[in-house]
Amino acid sequence: MRLGLALLAASLALGSDGKAGGEYFEMKVRPALANNCFSCHTSAKMGDLVMDSREALLRGGQSGPAVRPGDPDGSLLIQAVRQTHDRIKMPPGGRLPASDIEALERWIRDGAEWPEHASVSPAPAGLRIGEEQRAWWAFQPVRKPDPPPVKDEAWARTTIDRFVLARLERENLRPVRPADRRTLIRRASYDLTGLPPTPAEVDAFVADRSAEAFEKVVDRLLASPRYGERWGRYWLDIARYSDDKLNSTQDEPQPNVWRYRDWVIQAFNDDMPYDLFVKAQIVGDRMGDKEKYVAGLGFFANSPQFQEDRVDALGRGFLALTVACAQCHDHKFDPIPTRDYYSLLGIFRNTRADKFPLAPPEVVEAYESRKKAADERSKAVREFEDSQAKQLAEILAAQSPRYLKAVRALADLADERAIEEAARSQSLDRETLARWARYLGLETHEHPFLQRWREAAFDDGAFTARLLAAVAEKKRIDRENLIRLGGKDDDESVRVIEVLSLERDQYFLWRDLVSNERFGKFDSGILYYRGEKIDRFLAPQWKEHLAGLRAERDRLSDELPEEYPFLMSIADVEKPKPMRVHLRGSEDNLGEEAPPQFLTVLGDGEPRPFTNGSGRLELANAIASPENPLTARVAVNRIWGYHFGRPIVGTPGNFGKLGEAPTHPELLDYLAARLVELKWSQKALHREIMLSNAYALSAQSVEPNRTKDPDNKLVWRANRQRLDVEPMRDTLLFVSGELDERRGGEALEIGDDCNLRRTVYGFVSRRRLDSTLALFDFPNPVATSDARIHTATPLQQLYFLNSEFIQERAGAFALRLRSSARGDRERIREAYRILLQREPLAPELRLGLTYLASGQDAWRRYAQVLLSSNELLFVD
Amino acid sequence: MAVTRREMLARAGAGFGAFGVNALFGAPARTTSGALAPRTPHFAARATRVVYLFLNGGPSQVDTFDPKPMLTKHHGSPAPSGNLKTERLTGNLLKSPFEFRRCGRSGTEVSEIFPKLGEHMDDICVIRSMHVEQPFHEPSLFMFNCGHRIAGHPSMGAWLTYGLGTENQNLPGFLVLCPGFPVIGPQLWTSAYLPAIHQGVHLPNNEREPEKLVRHLQNHELSPAQQRGQLDLLERLNRLHLERAGGDPQLEARIQSMEVAYRMQSEAMDAFDLSKEPRHVLDRYGEGDFARGCLLARRAIERGVRMVQVYYGNGQPWDNHDDILKHRELAADSDAPIGALLSDLKSLGLLDETIVLIGGEFGRTPSVEVSAVAKVHNGRDHNNHGFSILLAGGGIKGGIAYGATDDFGFKAVDKPVHPHDVHATMLHLLGLDHTRLTFRYSGRDFRLTDVGGRVIEEILA
Repeated sequence: MRLGLALLAASLALGSDGKAGGEYFEMKVRPALANNCFSCHTSAKMGDLVMDSREALLRGGQSGPAVRPGDPDGSLLIQAVRQTHDRIKMPPGGRLPASDIEALERWIRDGAEWPEHASVSPAPAGLRIGEEQRAWWAFQPVRKPDPPPVKDEAWARTTIDRFVLARLERENLRPVRPADRRTLIRRASYDLTGLPPTPAEVDAFVADRSAEAFEKVVDRLLASPRYGERWGRYWLDIARYSDDKLNSTQDEPQPNVWRYRDWVIQAFNDDMPYDLFVKAQIVGDRMGDKEKYVAGLGFFANSPQFQEDRVDALGRGFLALTVACAQCHDHKFDPIPTRDYYSLLGIFRNTRADKFPLAPPEVVEAYESRKKAADERSKAVREFEDSQAKQLAEILAAQSPRYLKAVRALADLADERAIEEAARSQSLDRETLARWARYLGLETHEHPFLQRWREAAFDDGAFTARLLAAVAEKKRIDRENLIRLGGKDDDESVRVIEVLSLERDQYFLWRDLVSNERFGKFDSGILYYRGEKIDRFLAPQWKEHLAGLRAERDRLSDELPEEYPFLMSIADVEKPKPMRVHLRGSEDNLGEEAPPQFLTVLGDGEPRPFTNGSGRLELANAIASPENPLTARVAVNRIWGYHFGRPIVGTPGNFGKLGEAPTHPELLDYLAARLVELKWSQKALHREIMLSNAYALSAQSVEPNRTKDPDNKLVWRANRQRLDVEPMRDTLLFVSGELDERRGGEALEIGDDCNLRRTVYGFVSRRRLDSTLALFDFPNPVATSDARIHTATPLQQLYFLNSEFIQERAGAFALRLRSSARGDRERIREAYRILLQREPLAPELRLGLTYLASGQDAWRRYAQVLLSSNELLFVD
Repeated sequence: MAVTRREMLARAGAGFGAFGVNALFGAPARTTSGALAPRTPHFAARATRVVYLFLNGGPSQVDTFDPKPMLTKHHGSPAPSGNLKTERLTGNLLKSPFEFRRCGRSGTEVSEIFPKLGEHMDDICVIRSMHVEQPFHEPSLFMFNCGHRIAGHPSMGAWLTYGLGTENQNLPGFLVLCPGFPVIGPQLWTSAYLPAIHQGVHLPNNEREPEKLVRHLQNHELSPAQQRGQLDLLERLNRLHLERAGGDPQLEARIQSMEVAYRMQSEAMDAFDLSKEPRHVLDRYGEGDFARGCLLARRAIERGVRMVQVYYGNGQPWDNHDDILKHRELAADSDAPIGALLSDLKSLGLLDETIVLIGGEFGRTPSVEVSAVAKVHNGRDHNNHGFSILLAGGGIKGGIAYGATDDFGFKAVDKPVHPHDVHATMLHLLGLDHTRLTFRYSGRDFRLTDVGGRVIEEILA
């Protein structure tokens, strides 16, 4: 079965002449060689054989040529993989799948052609990029289209409206009626600030009959610092922002990363032009006025784990292109050759993580040197303690017979008084005796040497000799290993350099008695006295010496100021290294060179390699450019999407062939052109969008629209949207009067009862995302995220039923109402005004009053019901 | 006008709402709509549920399920064909300190450290020819759990509830039990780009009380009657709102899931309360987190949870670089629970429709690790080239060993199996074509088996 499949696949790759040609080589032969042979037979040259080119195979190694073209049976390579050769059987310890062997045979029979190009580095299968590829709508330059004619001139208040209406009219659809004022101000407030309007704000808007009433609302909201907290957070989705690293085994916070979060929020509030905003995040360290921009580098400094992620975040985040799909092969759908991927990857490979201190150099230097001194002194203390503890352990080890004898005489190993008595009468150290008793009392030991310790015939002397021999042997081994490692203790060396170890049983004897290693419930070997426990054994002058060292250590660490603040950033490496394509994504299989340069399809002809350092500066300029057909389109598409609940291109991170086509291509281009015209001001664009009639539609669903366009792709009404988790939690705190609106600073755990701040300032973890965030669809911070999704799960509702958070907010809200209004009826009305910006309807009032009459503390329970209601959690 | 709870339930019975009238009488609730509602698979399924016992850290195949007489024979000598490259340096061959025994009618050989598990070998298929790409925990953990070597892809359990929904709407469809976290942690049970409803719900099974296992499970402020009263009011207000809105599936879905949550409170309290088990059952499972995990898994599977994953322990307990004898303790702690779980599933008639997968993220080298990281040289390094996993139940052919490693247990040489193949086979038994279970994200169709996967027909019953 399997064989059959493999053959079929192989025959597909044969050329039209049935011969194993270039494609056959790439599909079958090279993978077989790369996966099985290259690790030993390229740079490692095992047996002097190199296998990465035809010439090398013909030349062969110690045993002669590896391949005779046309003669598989006579080729050493084939004999070796068939394992019919008397001496050479390859690969070591295994056997190639029959299909691989067959592929190699066939390839040799057909002449063992190694496709031209270079030896190890044939170019990836030729993806040509020309007119045809550049014709894709997203790669076409943005042209500002003329506003289309419409029938209903009166409805089309703005240019945006003309584009929307023309599209609807084409389908013979009419937009629904506009939303009422309270709905509109609620929508605008949530959209721009993530919080509901206050009753006073609603009243003022409803009462304002001027033509600019809504404009005033929008301007007020755009000027609010809450705007950056709302829209900055959306950008942080794209930046896969998190306050910790995805460490495999333990939490690893990134203590300064919040400065990037705050920079993003501030950039939105300051309405930093989008092109500069983008540029800052790629190359903020090289911009003029760099203090203003360098914090943006957190975008890449905050990368979760791999350089590869940076290409993905750059591609999808800034350009809506899935460049990362081209890591192993040319992009299957979009004109992105593998080389383009490695060109971009090379730029990041030639950058390094960096710190940008937010303190004067003298402060930084002072801190670093004092830190060094404090660390050195700590080390000196530890080393002195350890050396003394080791010597003591040896002395005590030599005294083992006396202790063994004393323990053997104990009737009860846990009897502290008997132990104390025995220690006194036999001049033994009491604690050491107690440790021996505890250790000997264990049911089993990892070594066999104390199995019969209780018996009178047990040879204490022989045991002791064995123990001392282990100690001596360990010292010898440690010295030898020091030589073998040559002083190296880096990750790689300790893994691959062969060292000696004690034989197993001897090791556990050593560990349990004299080592400083923790085991079971013991915090070291039983004869090892860790830290201050060593003190009582020291002669006075040494004790004094140690006390002096410790005092010095404590003073240095007490006096050590808090680390100076810094920004997580990146910088170019000093000497950029050339990048090569990794064929099929494998670093062992290098292809052609991939110079740092921009995506081929986004330029004319062959791209010009970047020459400035890593190439980041030129990359940033290529992206943050009005000439770039994607940057502005991608930005306006997102803005539109967050306002309308549906972007114009339904896949905001993919404008390629597999993405969705724009529902309103001319509108998209109009908005993109406007963004550039507006000097990349996002606030100005919000304003244009929000002042349209399209934005002000009600959420009402009507026929025939519902049947013709059930997903409302053409914008005939407003989409009802569930609140994202941040506005949801923030609203609960806001309406109960508890929201702490201090801005910025270090992240706080969201689960912390005392954390009443906006959710954007909560700790976002890649390793273990806060349970409330995870419950309410917060995007996974390990990868750049295109869009929010909303689910309705029972576990979410348990949160509304039972969580302390909701019950506390309900209590606070009830309390707030008690002090602000008199009587149940008035309080209910006040509650509806605060939560839903409207008066309660008659049945709602009646239900409320009936419920409140039901018993004690009913207000708190009632408040919880209102805080859990659908109307609060959805925005029309 | 207002709709009363009674009216709504009546409508629900008529197929308007989300849940059947069964719910009122305590029978398992089955919804007829919603993201987790049971869905018809692509074709007739052999299995409906999955238990995944994850022995995290990398159990050694040559000390558990892959006996190698040649290894014993050449103990202390260099491997004739050399050592394969693994994470760290290894030296001469190291024989297993354990004896192997033939088990069951099939006579499958199993290490003496798994006597209880051994009794079930006639129901178990050992795959002895597993391999993964890299000798590192993280990519291999991701591969077995999420079908990709890197973070950011949905877990198998998430794919299953996405593809099949789950049978019991009053419990989560995908449970993950681990005292603490395995290496990497929750990214291993993420829903990634699938809707968040599919992410695994982590139960810290070092806890004993149901309330500590599921967050927000109980309300200590309110009596059940008070809470019912609250919910009735909430439902009426939500219905009024829904009517004014002219109907909306999103609003409807939230109303329904609120009712499910209400019922989950009692269902989960019952499902996760091990004090309801008789003494003799508790005794068969034994003490410890993993024993509790296996018993909780059985209770969840009985109640129609789609997939339960039990990690052996916090961190990576099976990662015995230093001393392979540690395997004896680990097996002593896991043998009885696994045996008891298999026995129970069988006697309850559930094994036929439950796939049980047992294994770690890779195996270990037959050669002794000699690096400076190992404190003593009596252990084994990671081995991605060849290792074993066990499959049982749910349409798997028992009593067989499939595939083989070389003479020393280093590399899978006969019928190599990749985790993609295991996933494809499991999905197949669950009635799903692994190439058709896809999710379009960022403009591309993703699947659990990425671009690989072959259904291993030879191990199907």
